[in-house]
This record gives sequence, C-alpha cells and structure tokens, in this order.
Amino acid sequence: MTRYLIVLSIIYLSFSTNLYSQSCNLSVSGKITDLHDESPIIGALVFIEGTNNFSQTDENGEYLIEEICSGPIQLKVEHPSCNSVEKKLDIKKEKIINFKLEHHINELEEIIVTDFIQNQINSSSKESRLGIDEINLYSSESLAEALSFIPGVSSLKTGNSISKPIIHGMYGSRIGIVANGIRQNDQEWGADHAPNIDLNSFENVQLIKGAAALKYGGDTPGGTIILTSNKKKLIDSLYGSTILNLESNGSGGSISSKLTKTISNGYYAEGQFSLKQFGDIKAPKYILSNTGLKEFDLTIKLGKNKIISGWEAIYSRFTNEIGILRAAHIGNVQDLLSALSSEKPLRINPFTYNISSPKQQVEHQNLHFSYFKNQKDKGRWELKYNYQINQRQEFDIRRGDRSDIPAIDILLKTHNLAASFFWEKTLRWDFELGVSGLYQDNFSDPRTGVKRLIPDYFKYEIGSFFLGKYKLNNLFSWDWGIRVDRVFIEAQKYYMNSFWLERGYSESFSVFERRNFGSQILTNPKFSYLNFSSHTGFSTLIGNEIESSLSYILSQRAPNSSELFSDGLHHSLATIEYGNLSLSKETTHKLLMSFTKLKGSFTGSLEPYVAKTLNYIFIEPKQLEQTIRGAFPVWEYDATDAFLWGIDLNAKIDFNNQFYFQTTASYIYAQDTLNESPIISIPPFNSTQRLNYSSQNKKWDFQLSHHYVSKQNRFPDNNFNYSVIENGTFQSKLVDISSTPEPYHKLDLIFSLYLNEFTKSGAQLRFFVQNITNSDYRNYLNRMRYYASEIGRSFQIQLILNY
Amino acid sequence: MKLFLNIKQIFFYLFTALLISSCSSDEDEVDDIPELINEEEVITTVVLTFDSSDNPTQTIRWVVEEDNSSKLINLKANTEYQVGISFLDETDPSDVEDITEEVIEEADDHQVFYDFSDVSVSYSSGTNDTIDSDGNPVYLNSLWTASSSGSGIVQAFLIHEPTSKTGTSRDSFGGETDVAIDIPITIAD
Repeated sequence: MTRYLIVLSIIYLSFSTNLYSQSCNLSVSGKITDLHDESPIIGALVFIEGTNNFSQTDENGEYLIEEICSGPIQLKVEHPSCNSVEKKLDIKKEKIINFKLEHHINELEEIIVTDFIQNQINSSSKESRLGIDEINLYSSESLAEALSFIPGVSSLKTGNSISKPIIHGMYGSRIGIVANGIRQNDQEWGADHAPNIDLNSFENVQLIKGAAALKYGGDTPGGTIILTSNKKKLIDSLYGSTILNLESNGSGGSISSKLTKTISNGYYAEGQFSLKQFGDIKAPKYILSNTGLKEFDLTIKLGKNKIISGWEAIYSRFTNEIGILRAAHIGNVQDLLSALSSEKPLRINPFTYNISSPKQQVEHQNLHFSYFKNQKDKGRWELKYNYQINQRQEFDIRRGDRSDIPAIDILLKTHNLAASFFWEKTLRWDFELGVSGLYQDNFSDPRTGVKRLIPDYFKYEIGSFFLGKYKLNNLFSWDWGIRVDRVFIEAQKYYMNSFWLERGYSESFSVFERRNFGSQILTNPKFSYLNFSSHTGFSTLIGNEIESSLSYILSQRAPNSSELFSDGLHHSLATIEYGNLSLSKETTHKLLMSFTKLKGSFTGSLEPYVAKTLNYIFIEPKQLEQTIRGAFPVWEYDATDAFLWGIDLNAKIDFNNQFYFQTTASYIYAQDTLNESPIISIPPFNSTQRLNYSSQNKKWDFQLSHHYVSKQNRFPDNNFNYSVIENGTFQSKLVDISSTPEPYHKLDLIFSLYLNEFTKSGAQLRFFVQNITNSDYRNYLNRMRYYASEIGRSFQIQLILNY
Repeated sequence: MKLFLNIKQIFFYLFTALLISSCSSDEDEVDDIPELINEEEVITTVVLTFDSSDNPTQTIRWVVEEDNSSKLINLKANTEYQVGISFLDETDPSDVEDITEEVIEEADDHQVFYDFSDVSVSYSSGTNDTIDSDGNPVYLNSLWTASSSGSGIVQAFLIHEPTSKTGTSRDSFGGETDVAIDIPITIAD
C-alpha cells in the first residue's frame, strides 16, 4: 500500500513542472483521519485542482499546502484505499481544514462473496453480469430471456411469455434467485411457473454458475442469479429514466419508468413501475390463440445511506395475467395424439387482446427491510428482514361457468430473516459469517373445487454460513465457504385412501395418518433434513494473459413440496403427476474450471465443468391410469444418480475499435447413470454469433446475430402406445412425446442510435428485428412444442430517455 | 478481541432464538385441519339405457373405481334402439348430481359421440334429443341400429368445447375429452 503511494507520488512529482505557481503566500493545513476510528491517514495526497500545488500527509495525517493565491480554490484529497473528497474554499487568510475519509468498505460489501476471485480478477468466466444497458435492452423481456444470451444459460418455456432460467442443465429449485440479498420464494417448483420478478426494477444482475453463493443458500447446484440496485450517492439530485417498447408481433409493448430522489444527508426515495400488454402472438403461419399477457409491477424504496450505517425499506408488487395457448388444453391421451399428428394448433381464433382460460394470474408482493453498520475495525454488520406473499391462480377450461373459478389457487407466505458480519481482517484475509431463518406457510384454497395440487404446509429453515477469502496478490487467491441448513417441512394432506394403500404408505408412513374421511384420508407428513454445503477454489494467472480458476462445490438440497406431495392433472400434457414421500435429500458435487483471456484484440473464456448428483430427483412416466376420461400416463417423482458435464465458450475478436465478431457456444451431456438413460429437458448444443459495427463517433451501432440450436439427440424414450378406433377397428398408435424438434437458425438485428444531445443525460433509440427470416421452428425447451411453432418475425422500437 | 466475543454472543442468541421458534410450533393443533375437497364437476358414472319395442330395457352403469370389465351391451341386429346417455357425479352418495343437466344447458359446448370397433352400428338423433343453437343434435338421446351380428367395443365420448359439431371420428370433433369409456357390445341375429 505504502509502496504504491510512493510510486504514485513519484509519478505525480515527475509530471509536476512547477511547484511554485504564483508568488502568493497564503496556506491551507489540516489533518486527515479515518472516519471510523479517527486514526491518521498517512500518505494521502491533498492538492488544489487545476494546479500542481499539493501536499502529502505525514505520519500524523497532517498536511500543509503553502503559496496559495487568494480567491476560490477546489481542494481535493485522494488516497488509493479511500473515497476521494473535494471541497470548495474561498481563501482570504490561512485556513485549517480537516478531512475524514471513508475507506472503501462500501464497495467491498457490494462484492458478493461468490465463486471466489471473480470479483477481483475477472468477471467473465464463472460470474456473468448484466449491467443497466443490458437490462434496458431486454426491458420488455423476462429475466430468463435476458440471461439466456450468457453461454450455459437457456430458458425453459411454456409458450412465449412464461420462461424460467436453466443454468448448466438445471432449473427450478436447483437455481436460486436472490433479490436485494434475499432468496425469492415464489413457487419455483413448477415447470410452468416463471420467476415473479420485474427485471426493470434492478440495476445489476450477477449470474453465478454452481452453488458458490453460499451466503444465500447451499441448495442450488445449477447456480444463483443475484439482482441488486446501485448504491445511492450522497448528493442532492433528482433523476430517472423511462423506457418505451413497441412490438409488432403481439401488437403490444411495455413502458417502464423510474424516478429517484437523493439528498446529501443520505436519505433517498425511489419509485418505479412497469406496464406490459401484448395480444395473441403470431407464429410464422398462424396466430397462437390465447397467448396474450398483461403485467403491472411497482417498486417503492425509501432509505438512508450514510457511510457508517444505513437502512432501506422496499415494497414491491408484481402482478401478471398470462394466457396459455388454447390448443394446449386437452382432455386425454387421444386428444394429445390428435394434437401431435396435426401440423398446426387445433384451435386458431382471430387476434385478440382478451385473455381467457386457460390462464395464470400471479401476484407477488415483497416487503423488505435492511440495515447495515460499519464497525471501526473494518467490519460490517447486516440485518435483513423480508416478507413475501405469492398468490398464484391457474384457470382451466371448466364446465358450468366454473372457468372463472381458479383450478389452482395457492397462497405462499414467506418470512426471511438474515444477519451477517463481514470482517476484513487484513488486506489478505477476509471473512464473513451469518445466520438466516425462514418460515413459510402455504395455503391451497379449497374453494377451487379441485383436489389440491400442493397441500397446505409449513416450512422452517435455519441456516448458518462461514466464508473466507485469502488473496496473496493479484496473481493468486483462495476462497472457501461452508454452510449448514436445517429444513423442516410439515404438511396437511388428503390422500385418496386407495392411493395411500396402493403406494404402501399405509405401512411405511402410518405415523402420518390423522383422520379417515371415507374415500380420503387426512395425513400429516413431517420431514426434517440437514443439509451441508461447501465450496473451495482458487484462481491464478497463467503467463501474463490467461486467468484461470478451479473450484469444487458440494451442495445438498431437500426435496421441495412439489416433489414430495404433488397430486394433480396437467392439462397441457394430459399427465397425472404424483409426488413421492420416500424421497430424501439430493447431493451434488460439482467441479468447475475457467480460463479467461481479457486483454488484446482476441478475448474469450472457456469454462468446462462436471457434476455428479446422488439421489437426483426427477419425474418419470410410470404407467397408464384408466379414468372415466380415458387413459392418462402417470408421472411420478423418483430419485436416481445423475452425471453431467458441459462446456461453455465465449470468444471475441476486435478487428478494430469499431468492428467486432463474437461467438458463444455451450454443450451439456447429462446421463441418468442408474437407468443408463439421458436426462430429459437438457438444452441441446447451441451457439450464437454476433457481428457488431459502431460508427466512428459512437453515435450509432449495428448488430446482427445468428442463433443456432441443434437437435437434442440425447433424450429419454417416454413414448407409449395407445389404441384408438380407426375405420371400425382398434389401431395401436405410438404417442411420441419424446422426439425432439429439428435444429433451427434464427437471425436478429439491432440498430441503436445514441442521442446524447437530445437530453442532458442521454437518450437511445433502437430498432430491432427478431427472427428476420420468419423461420418456422419448434423449441425442445418449450412445453408448447407439441402444439405450435415458436414466435415469428417481430419488429420492435425502443426509446430510452434518461433525465 | 472484544469485537469477536460480541459477534459470537450475538450469533449464539440469534441461532438459539431461531431454533426455539422453529421447535415451539411443532405441536399439533388438532382442530386446525384443512377443508376436505370433494372434487366438483367430476363425472363418476355414465348410465346408458337401451330401449326397443320388443325387448326389455337394458341399463349399463359404468362407474369409476368399479370393475367395469364384465359390463356388456346385448343388442339384436336390425332392431331400432332408443339409447339414452346420462352423466352423474356420485362422489357423495347422499347428494348425487346429474351432470347431464349441465350438458343440456351448455348444449353448444358439448357433444356426445359413439365410435364402434368390429361391429357395424349406425346411429342418428333420437326422440327428445337435445339440439344446440345451430340445430346440431347433441345425441344425448339417439337411435341405434346394428346391421349385422358380431361382437366388439363401443366407445362413448362426451366432448367439451368441440371445434366441430359434426364428424365421423373422434378426431374430427376436436375439443377436449370429458368422458371416454369402452364397453363391450354383442349383437345377436
């Protein structure tokens, strides 16, 4: 540190041409101390801006600048490990000005103890970030769509508007989404449940592949997505931005606006909203009937952000209504068979903005309170409380006016409490430890008149973690963490007596029986899990240019309520899904490597990984169940062992400072090692190429991108035969629900204009053309692929105004 | 270091507090049980009646959770039968719901269809059949005639929101299947 300062001073001195600017004889002196413990800060540079007149503080933190002319001056204090401070003065006589400097603790706490090193040496290999520009670019899209340009990330979709992120082949409960430092609790268990998050209310998105964000949980072997907002500045200011999107396909758009008021005493207030509406979207050859979307999101923040301490209170509300492709609502296997054999959806209606059943309505409310305090000896306390209320209603096509009554109506309430302490022991060592608690209450409204898909339950979680980091120098650092979680879940669930007997639960789980109601039995299953997770890794520099890292992650995950208790009919695949009480926790070992080249005209990263999951929980077809509606395949949760490996690649060539070419690609191999069969819903090999050209003056740029997705040739064979009457006799037909769609290419174009003179803070105007060739394709990771093609060509205009 | 003592203490208290809170609500509250749901709009029973002038009335009841494999329809060839179909929800035996009424009320959104395997039976709209607003018969009451003897299977369908109200195969009606049952049929000379 001191060495660095001396070097800096020498450099500074060597550029100084004249220390004696004028024959003036006033002086300014004073003492510079640490804000927290008032210890003197040695070696800080104090100088008068616009001149070469400066002084450096001595061992008492004192400085003296002489030979100052009378009149206004701007005094500036700089120190490499502190925030700079400036002060305007009018010099008439000798003055004593003392300064208190803030060490960079503020920024340190912003660094999330991730996958070690990523924050220090590189941010491109295992941690990927979206900044405000990317967030704005994807303003009208969902979180999963915005992330899916990162190699190794895909999205699992139900239609066009419902998508959830897949990281390294894992999704749902194997992925953590962390907003404002607290895990999002929004019924992530369902394949057709998208995260209830408005991307526009955040300013940073970090994606960490693997369960390395132990601070937020150890049960996410896929990865963690961390959403944060920028620290507010201690200045008097009022600023905001508005983003407007208009899209041709779906004849809709979105508007999102944010306004922030900050005051120099640290107080701030912020309001933000997003509004989206789309009608039925169009595939290249037909309208996808009932695929409209309405969304309204609101966030209000109040807080005080002082240097030593601060608090923040946030209320946010996310509401949407999403139509599910009408043709995907089917009655039984025979209906599925006719849908599969049809080239286009069996129901195509004229375009409308109306959303009718089947549809989803979701409301997610979030109340958040956080407090931090910086301690004298470089420590930092953090306390967070968060309450989330998630209501999900799903409407099916029902007889007798019941379509207005939801078939699923689940209210999930979650309280989170988290306390942590970050301690920067020395420049080389830092530690963080904390505890967190969760209490969750799930209520399934009986007024649906439909058997509960997820029963009423309580869940408690208590966890504690301890993380450490050792940084030898810029070339080597080592990171580790451990976390222990206790998970307790207690449900109140009705089983059909016949099912309870048939599964042998009446013997193995007789202690759970509470009361018999004739055909149904009320049970009270209680489960407790102890999960241990940990990670360790190091990073080092190979040669001068290649940064490399290696990390090992152990994660354990308790089965979620869907895997344990799920009980219901899925209309989009004509399947009956059952949970399994015999499941135990899942353990994943994952090894990740990364090689990154950040300098030069050729940059890129290569990230191979392997993962072995013991007791991997998955759902598989068991048998056909004969009902009065015909036959239904029964899918039931079970456990196996899984082996995954994959590689993510990113390469960029800068031809000159105006023109670059970038390519990304990822491949995943996933095998069920006990059944010797591929794992379902694994993204096929995919690759994206981008050509980007910017004008000389950076007033505009032009980007052409090409996406290629290959056919997934590794899939489990879940096909079965079903007999239907054809021409007067029964014919056995193959119900092919396993085969994967053909490979496809898609071309997109973005033209951006940067209108910096338009407003003071800048404005941008963008034109997009998505799917230029109107390519007609189906996507393996879209559950609607059995019924319809993906979205066709769309023109989009985007206007971003900053003020 | 004084600071570390503090941290340890605070975390100890926090941890125990959370632990206690998670254990204390462990006790059962016996009366707090979720409401039992008896599934609505369930069809548990399909009743088929066969009437002809010179044979006794035949009634077939296809009931969920019963072994229906021995139920058999016996018809005579070249004889006209008035065939009625009705749908019941017998989940609660003391409160049987006749779903057929809903089907009649929402005639436009429903369609009954019969398909036959290995026997040749033709049917048309029967007396007192429900006709929808476009004049299409729903076939809740139909008139069956078998042209020759044999044995096979009859499939009875109740289709919800069909895309077409006319057709000769299940596929041609579209819509969602609400009922699909197979019943063996024997046609004597």
